[in-house]
Amino acid sequence: MTPSNEDLEREFERLLRNPLTRRHILKRGAAGVMSASALAYLAACGSDEPAGGNGQKAKGEKPIAKGTIADSLYVANWPAYIDEDHTALKSFQKKNGTKVKYVEEINDNDQFFGKVRQQYQQGSSGGRDIHVVTDWMAARMVRLGYVQKFDKSSMPNANANLIDRLKSPAFDPKREFSMPWQSGMTGIIYRKDKVKSPPRSVADLFNPAYKGKVTMLTEMRDTVGLVTAWQGGNPEKASLDEYKKAIDKVQEGVDSGQIRGFTGNEYIKDIPKGDSWVIFGWSGDAVQLKADNPNVEFVLPESGGMLWTDNMQIPVGAPHAYTAEKFIDYIYEPEVQAPIEAYINYICPVNGTKEVMAKTDPSIAKNPLIFPDKSVFDNTYIFRDLTPEEETELNDAFQKLIGA
Amino acid sequence: MTARLRKGALPYLLLLPGLGWLVLFFALPLVYMALESLKSGDPFVSGFKLTWEFSNYTNALKDYDQQFIRSFEYAGMATLIALLIGYPLAYVIAFRGGRWRNAMLLLVIVPFFVTYLIRTLSWETILSDSGVVVNTLQAVGILGHDGRLLDTTVSVVAGITYNFLPFMILPLYASLERIDARMLEAGYDLYDRRRDVFLHVTLPLSMPGVVAGVLLTFIPAAGDFINAQLLGTPKQFMIGNVIQSRYLVVNDYPTAAALSFLLMAFSLIIVIVWARIAGTEALLGTEGERK
Repeated sequence: MTPSNEDLEREFERLLRNPLTRRHILKRGAAGVMSASALAYLAACGSDEPAGGNGQKAKGEKPIAKGTIADSLYVANWPAYIDEDHTALKSFQKKNGTKVKYVEEINDNDQFFGKVRQQYQQGSSGGRDIHVVTDWMAARMVRLGYVQKFDKSSMPNANANLIDRLKSPAFDPKREFSMPWQSGMTGIIYRKDKVKSPPRSVADLFNPAYKGKVTMLTEMRDTVGLVTAWQGGNPEKASLDEYKKAIDKVQEGVDSGQIRGFTGNEYIKDIPKGDSWVIFGWSGDAVQLKADNPNVEFVLPESGGMLWTDNMQIPVGAPHAYTAEKFIDYIYEPEVQAPIEAYINYICPVNGTKEVMAKTDPSIAKNPLIFPDKSVFDNTYIFRDLTPEEETELNDAFQKLIGA
Repeated sequence: MTARLRKGALPYLLLLPGLGWLVLFFALPLVYMALESLKSGDPFVSGFKLTWEFSNYTNALKDYDQQFIRSFEYAGMATLIALLIGYPLAYVIAFRGGRWRNAMLLLVIVPFFVTYLIRTLSWETILSDSGVVVNTLQAVGILGHDGRLLDTTVSVVAGITYNFLPFMILPLYASLERIDARMLEAGYDLYDRRRDVFLHVTLPLSMPGVVAGVLLTFIPAAGDFINAQLLGTPKQFMIGNVIQSRYLVVNDYPTAAALSFLLMAFSLIIVIVWARIAGTEALLGTEGERK
């Protein structure tokens, strides 16, 4: 990564983050465009070795051994995914004397994978002790044997405080290889002042009255998942054909001009400008957009929204695995989580944070998009784990849909 | 003896840095990509293996013919528009610029001080549905009530034209500026109309600039994808968008590499044809006299 590329990315992020105080996660949006950079090409080019290498490695049969807490730790995370003061990192250092090297190096799951896979395959983590990736990538990391198994007995907070809905995802039913950093919901974001009646269903995105004012997400699992659920399928266990049926439906919308395009979180510019009215978008963005413009609303479609999680994992070869484990556990103390949550505004995975924040930040504690109750969670799906073949096939079809 | 040796070796030594650079960063990657484009397999399980899979090329062409055609269409349109805008501008700067000449040239280059991405993003704002431009065009009836500019072919071609315009203007200016004023004076003696002087003297003499400008605009424009991505929709996506997503999203490196080579091949063909039609004669400066 050359400095100029980094500068460019930062500049671009700053532009998107306008005004500066806005507390966004620039999760995926920036990546869509920035993946343009030569850097990404390089990352992609150097790596045509099979990721699985010599077959499936033993999936970390043995959990991480107990040890002592080291004086340094390397955490790789997404940009703007922690409060600007790095409160949690500072207090962890104060408590344990560990200096945390916190690197915002993940802009895109695929890009990150391209960057680390040769290292990971050779059993080197490139110095990283923790990385944060989205469910499906976390699943791939587990499948390829690139991550270590937690010793849950050294993680009392994590065991006690993880919210129920996230306790057993299909790819890691016992949460032995991953712990959520932050979750979010995908649903419909709309402009109250532009729509005729508040949208309640994915069908509203196909309403001819909104022709050319509809966008969907470039994130395949979000767009395909929402449409599959609307068509009566269950995205947690749908067949490849059901997913493809959803793609066909969206294709109709593209062909007719109903759907204007596909976005990462660039929609945070389009919605306030009125370039789009009814879109697929992420809950955390909606919280922020709403704060700036009261006409913006978020709703989960009646047929169900998508729930996704970015997960902390400890790669094989991590130099300070035990410290990493303790750090993950530390993040699960509600008092530690609170400042992160206050900044990010996605779904908080840590029980007890709501109570802490009720005192410090009552408006956030009351927000159902940040602390959803069970009825909201019941209306969400986690996209199922795809086999590599399915993933290739579906990605291919979806990329053709979104124009390339 | 040593002096002669040094003299003989010197040119080669001078070539060395440039050659080394080209081999390392051009020739080797090219070979690597050529091999990549002939592999088959999948990214996660077996990996890609060199199997001389020439069908990668035919499949890529079959699947993405639309985007190829679109790329050259858009690049062609943008080049033509840039030429129509750029020529008069370069002409004015070269012949009427006077003491403002350098200042005006600087203004042409100034946009480069801001990143390409940021400039394209600001076009997004300028052309937005409720922006000044669209509202004005709607008010005077050029655009329908729910007409729009952003996310259309117009915005993509406009964006490409804007972004590559300086590459057209600078070579045009360079060749116009070189024209000997005495040639023009002689021209006015021979032809009494300014139009004839322009057609028979100025234009032929500036042809090298036109040829260079067209190439410098057309080639990068055909491979561009930022404009289509930010100012267009999937219906405007160009071959660059496809290559980008094949590499980074689908992890289908062989197809992406094959597409890159096809793009290079097509560009090369177009350049050769263009050089045949416009280049050699114009470069010799014989065109004007023969007519």
